[in-house]
Amino acid sequence: MFRDYETGPFFDEMFAAPGQPRPHYATMFQELSGMAPSQFEELRKLADFSFLLQGITFTVYSDGRGTERLFPFDLVPRIVPHAEWERIERGLGQRVRALNLFLQDVYGPQRILKDRVIPRSLVYSCRHFCRHMIGVEVPRGIYTHIAGIDLVRDSKSGEYLVLEDNVRTPSGISYVLENRQVMTRTLPRAFQLHDVLPVDHYPAELTQILRRISPRGGDRPVMVLLTPGIHNSAYFEHTFLAQQMGIELVEGRDLVVDCDIVYMKTIHGLTRVDVIYRRIDDDFLDPLAFRPDSILGIPGLMGAYRAGNVALANAVGNGVADDKAIYAYVPAFIRYYLAEEPVLSNVETYLCSNPEHLNYVLDHLSQLVVKAVGESGGYGMLIGPAASAAAIADFRERLRANPRNYIAQPVIALSRCPSHDPATGRMAGRHIDLRPYCLFDGERVVIVPGGLTRVALQPGSLVVNSSQGGGSKDTWVLRGDA
Amino acid sequence: MMLSRIADSLFWMARYMERAEDTARILDVNYHMMIEQSPQAYRLRWDPLVSITGEQERFSAQYGQATPRNVFEFLAFSSENPSSIVQCITNVRENARTIRDRISRELWEDINSLYHTATRYNPEDEIAVGPHRFCNYIKFGSHSFHGVADDTLPHDEGWNFLQAGRALERAEMTARIVDVEYHKLVESAAAADAAGNHQWMAVLKSVAAYEFYRRQYHAGIEPEKVAELLVLHAQLPRSIRFNIAAVQQSLRAISGSGPDAYANEAERLTGKLHESLMYDRIEDIFARGLHAFLADVQKSCRSIGEHIARTYFYYAVVA
Repeated sequence: MFRDYETGPFFDEMFAAPGQPRPHYATMFQELSGMAPSQFEELRKLADFSFLLQGITFTVYSDGRGTERLFPFDLVPRIVPHAEWERIERGLGQRVRALNLFLQDVYGPQRILKDRVIPRSLVYSCRHFCRHMIGVEVPRGIYTHIAGIDLVRDSKSGEYLVLEDNVRTPSGISYVLENRQVMTRTLPRAFQLHDVLPVDHYPAELTQILRRISPRGGDRPVMVLLTPGIHNSAYFEHTFLAQQMGIELVEGRDLVVDCDIVYMKTIHGLTRVDVIYRRIDDDFLDPLAFRPDSILGIPGLMGAYRAGNVALANAVGNGVADDKAIYAYVPAFIRYYLAEEPVLSNVETYLCSNPEHLNYVLDHLSQLVVKAVGESGGYGMLIGPAASAAAIADFRERLRANPRNYIAQPVIALSRCPSHDPATGRMAGRHIDLRPYCLFDGERVVIVPGGLTRVALQPGSLVVNSSQGGGSKDTWVLRGDA
Repeated sequence: MMLSRIADSLFWMARYMERAEDTARILDVNYHMMIEQSPQAYRLRWDPLVSITGEQERFSAQYGQATPRNVFEFLAFSSENPSSIVQCITNVRENARTIRDRISRELWEDINSLYHTATRYNPEDEIAVGPHRFCNYIKFGSHSFHGVADDTLPHDEGWNFLQAGRALERAEMTARIVDVEYHKLVESAAAADAAGNHQWMAVLKSVAAYEFYRRQYHAGIEPEKVAELLVLHAQLPRSIRFNIAAVQQSLRAISGSGPDAYANEAERLTGKLHESLMYDRIEDIFARGLHAFLADVQKSCRSIGEHIARTYFYYAVVA
């Protein structure tokens, strides 16, 4: 399987040097090496079939009929030794706590603005800064119940860096849980030979947090997961989580607000709702408060939320904390709020709102990655070294017209992990990132060991998004270091 | 606690599944009866098949003439026909998709695999080999669906909506089958000859009642007896009476109303219809006219469906 495998000029997760697996990958290397390409191919088909049968697909509407595709799944797991994970866990824990404190502060006393740690203008000009939230007391002071923090490993230093924070409605956890299940069925022997930390307690942990934020208290609050509906690309995840958590999956049309109380329509009349795990963006939540053309939302929901009669997870207005320009200040938040040094570093970031940075960026466009600050999912991006002259010229215009809307970062040489190349039937190095999912209950940050490893399956590609040929891998955090 | 939208989806999921199975049964049985027949009888038989599904106009607009090929394609595969088998299966899955958190993983995987398999049949290949292979698969799929549903879903309110949907659809479909077949056969005065006999056998087989008829009556196939069996029999799982009783039972289980009361209009209509199916004799029905009776049954079924929706799915919220 590893014939002609090249590690290239990149940090390879499996190999310390060509042909020399790292200690925590030695067993897996042996398992895979002992396999014939045809054997591996059989397993791959088995895994694909399992995903198809479970309907873990997304729909592409290009032929007018809607074709269902699988998210490509690569059978070679990403393995993380325990010591490495511990450091990640510490780093993410402090980061999530700092982000939550920032949100409490920015919608409350605004000490950090008064102390000029971050410019007031930068915060107020965030597209997702939400004036409706100023002075609102959210249950237990929790804003970031669920955070998905994207990490990459820089080939230069071999260190993990934080690439971006997602504290609005991060998705992907269902793949973590499903990948694990398919993996244990497909490669049971290899799995058993490793001591892998489990991940399937995630739904229970999340349910626990939601129960605790119920404004009415009590043992059995009515909790629901609010989905935009069947056409949303993450719909599978919504149904999956609702089922795993044992809570009701609702759409906007199932809910109604009367006198600041939220109800759902059941066959026996209206039932009061206490907690909403919403997977709808702020803009669409309530047509009375936000976009009047939203048909996904519930008129009056914000009133009920502000009155403290219903809890939302995540809180409204979180977008101000994962704005890509604010991102540059998160290490400063950690120092300011926690008086700690950040465990995980940021990627070096140029804020185009700063004239000096802007000039530098304009001069080096072909070497940088430029990102729109309020976007996610790989939209509104320019990858300088791969971009055409026209695309660069286009971004130059956009940067000059609206510098606040952009940041730039050097291109990070992401680490690679051996992955199956269907063209040759053998292993090839492919770039990966990692999104762990962090749950915050107001005191503790709980992170299921691992997270979603996304892999750029196209040779040479650095883009791991599923819309651009990206796939995923199971992530194994070991109980020990080998 | 059951969301109205979820009850709605369960109800319709079962209706579409039943519609797909019924259409498959009708197609399969009639096709095989047909290939043993003379060309005149051949033509005679195909039109009613489309009428049974209530899509006569759409069919005429698309094809004009009824040929075995056209009818098979239209009823099994056509995306122009909202009641084609493939469309029904697609609707089963779409309904299941919106409630997959509420149904068992086993049921979802069963529906999903039915959908993927059914939509991958190549119509041209199936037309070449005849409908049996495809129809048999659908029939099997429907049985599997109900088996898995019975064994893996809690028998709660949602399950009762599922049962009500299946029974209501089946009652209406049997009413249509008897109505259309009887009407056409009597009209063509073919009922007395051997061909007529064959066609009644086809009707019985399409509702899986042929062997039962033989045991029950020990006689030749007589249209009145066939009608009696399919309309009034208490134990035949595809008779109208059996299914209206099932609707009644499900609705009572949902509302909790007792045997001598009704909680809503849907229950009242169901009870009234069930009374008449219990106490009317087939002679009484024929005296009034079978067609008029069956037209009333179909009308009642539609009203019951509407009132179930109004009571449980789309009630107005007064804020």
